[in-house]
Amino acid sequence: MNVAVKSIQKILLTMLLALAIGALFILFIGENPLEAYGALLRGAFNGKLKIGTTLASFTPLLLTSCAFAVAAKAGAFNVGVEGEVFLGGITAAYIGINWTFLPAPVLMIVCFLGAMTVAALWALIPAVLKAYYRVSEVCVTILMNSVALYITSYLVSGPMSAGVANAQSLPVTVNLPQFMKPSSVNAGLFIALITVVFMIWVLNKTTFGYKVKTVGTNPSHAEYVGISPKKIFIQSMMLSGALGGMAGCIEVLGVHGYFLNNFAAGLGSNGMLASLIVKNNLIFAPFMSFFLAVLKSGAMGMQQSTGVPKSIVDTITAVFIIVATMELLFQFKDKKNKKEKSK
Amino acid sequence: MSEYVIEMKDIVKSFGNVHAVRNGQFTLKKGEIHSLIGENGAGKSTMMKLLYGMYPIDDGSIRIHGDHIPSISPKIAIEKGIGMVHQEFMLVNELTVLENIILGFEPRHGITIDFDKARKTVEQYINQYGMDIQLGKKINQISVGEAQRVEIIKTLTRGANVIILDEPTAVLTPQETKQLFVILQNLRKDGKSLVFISHKLNEVMEISDRISVMRQGNYIGSVSKEETSPAELAKMMIGREVFLNIEKTQTKPGEKVLEVKDVWVSGEKEISKIRGVSLDVRAGEIVGIAGIDGNGQSELIEAIAGLRQVEKGSVLLDGKELGGLSPKQIRKAGLSHIPEDRNTRGLNRSMSIKENLIAVQVGEAPFCKGVVRDDKETLEYAKQLSEVFDIRPRDPEISTQSLSGGNAQKVVVAREVSIGGKLLVASQPTRGVDIGAIESIRKILQEVKAKGMGVLLVSADLEEILSLSDRIVVMHEGRITGRLKAEDANEDNLGLLMMGGTASAEERGSTT
Repeated sequence: MNVAVKSIQKILLTMLLALAIGALFILFIGENPLEAYGALLRGAFNGKLKIGTTLASFTPLLLTSCAFAVAAKAGAFNVGVEGEVFLGGITAAYIGINWTFLPAPVLMIVCFLGAMTVAALWALIPAVLKAYYRVSEVCVTILMNSVALYITSYLVSGPMSAGVANAQSLPVTVNLPQFMKPSSVNAGLFIALITVVFMIWVLNKTTFGYKVKTVGTNPSHAEYVGISPKKIFIQSMMLSGALGGMAGCIEVLGVHGYFLNNFAAGLGSNGMLASLIVKNNLIFAPFMSFFLAVLKSGAMGMQQSTGVPKSIVDTITAVFIIVATMELLFQFKDKKNKKEKSK
Repeated sequence: MSEYVIEMKDIVKSFGNVHAVRNGQFTLKKGEIHSLIGENGAGKSTMMKLLYGMYPIDDGSIRIHGDHIPSISPKIAIEKGIGMVHQEFMLVNELTVLENIILGFEPRHGITIDFDKARKTVEQYINQYGMDIQLGKKINQISVGEAQRVEIIKTLTRGANVIILDEPTAVLTPQETKQLFVILQNLRKDGKSLVFISHKLNEVMEISDRISVMRQGNYIGSVSKEETSPAELAKMMIGREVFLNIEKTQTKPGEKVLEVKDVWVSGEKEISKIRGVSLDVRAGEIVGIAGIDGNGQSELIEAIAGLRQVEKGSVLLDGKELGGLSPKQIRKAGLSHIPEDRNTRGLNRSMSIKENLIAVQVGEAPFCKGVVRDDKETLEYAKQLSEVFDIRPRDPEISTQSLSGGNAQKVVVAREVSIGGKLLVASQPTRGVDIGAIESIRKILQEVKAKGMGVLLVSADLEEILSLSDRIVVMHEGRITGRLKAEDANEDNLGLLMMGGTASAEERGSTT
């Protein structure tokens, strides 16, 4: 427990430092940082619409951060979550538009299953290349993100196009119920929360979770005790892909109601950042996702009511990552404590 | 001028929560060989690394030639005439011996390196101390013993008059050790002061003038060689009497549990590292594989365990062909395996003791219910094993990260012995563990044998091979160079075979 308290402490310190450095930048451009941060918070939480919007942008991050973390537990660096979100989204759209012969509740479930399957198969490609041919999954997934984006762009401008000015598909026939209208937060939030809790359980309580962690921390030990590192690596990459696909499905069925070209831009990478900052800790990742969602959705409000451009938020996020990866930054505190203890 | 070349007083050093040295004392006289002994983790290497300036000391003082040195770095240490030969050689494989020796201290000739001058200086040392070194060869072409001599020369050319040798004999054959001792004595004659770190008591007794003992980071005492005995030193090292030479239990070997027939295996860098090895192990006997590290033992063991591809030949476990089986299937067929490297293979250091103890039985009854792990059952089992195998601390929930070498190894041994297969492959089972653990692990191997398991023992420690094995196989460069019955084997004939020599006719006559 002590370890958990310490890491929370560390994350909070990191957060404060990132905000402080952000404040310096704001000072540089001649604005009042306190006012700017106040505006940011108002932009994220002031009123039903704003809270709803924050929650709506929190939903996919929950899943994409979890997706990245699950792959990371098995030792994979899955940059491809974004592509998986795109493909999950397009699959959900296709099924939601065309398979109307199914009754609505079944269709909804089939949309999810289809999205998750296609995204998992997409993740299978880099997983196999890595496990059997030692091709870096980082390179492959980065490249495949573009491929996924272009496939979906082509589909919604061509075969699946709604024929309107924007590149988008026809509306789907099933929708996740929205609440806190007019924001687009929807039942997907609860699906995502339940999924994340389920994944925490899988990793900590099941045999599969044990194997994933063994492979992720020491593959040669795994091999020696009879766990196949290749198989587990591939399975957790596919699981990661499925979670990404689920995020795409929720975006299409819950937020937009159709497939909008390039809708997932940034969802994968922000999820990855949230996960990386907390060192792929599945329990902390949702909190970090929430923080990022607040920054994102409050940024617009800040820009409107103060002179601070919303890109300052990206600066804060970037600083956050830099600070979080500086492992040694907060060690001085530990040392001091130790000295006192030993006295 | 002080009586001592080196004086280290009240040294304290910790790494995080680990107190590597609590109370370190060490003095070195001019022209003596001073051994620093202790179990693994006793802090002897740390003491010397502190002297060499590789880490800063937390507390205490270091004097060199009587001068107090407040903060020492390797650069200062070298300037003050201290040289260190590390356990892991610090040589560049792709460079020649000469280039390695002068690296960083090249004599120059304008902008080019003055190789002639360098060669002259180095050859002077070679002749002076009777070392056998070929300067033109690349490091990857020379033997471990030769590499070690290169390291010694390196310290000499940098003007060292104090040379620290960190477990120099761990990687040597008995013959090479003798050669090394001759060199060390020559160095002493020449007025150099030497620190010899080891835990092999007989070697320490042979070479030292004085001996200092450390235990758990504490200085225990210093004795001169004439006034002590190996038994007394052992007692100082671990704080109680020990018995390493266990009476061999006599059992009747039964059926063949392992048959290795003309096996060829490739290594990391070379194809066919193992060339045509055949051997067998029967139930209820211990077969020892003797050999210098890196002569194919590791590859052979990995091939048996299914962790490395067999090029050709066949391996049968209890009559079952293992070719094409996965490591899991081979374990199911009856293999227990104590791997040579407990940190990468044997343990998952990021997991707890209990999780490591059931690592080979994850997903099997009774340690799971459906897909969910059964924590209670696991803990119960782990508590039981901790008790039986005396794993300390007795809390199976703690991480294996913090375990000492001996206790970490006991976790591996406990797990592998408790699953009860037909064959136990024990690779370097006591490497880097303390004497207490060596004693108990050797006992366990005897018990396993008495229960009727076949044991294949690989060890670089000849004493271990001799005291445990019923039959001994010697490997050299991927081939078997000798097969002896335990009663015909001794350090000399094994050492010779390990170097690639052939056994004399009468020994060959008694092969099995």
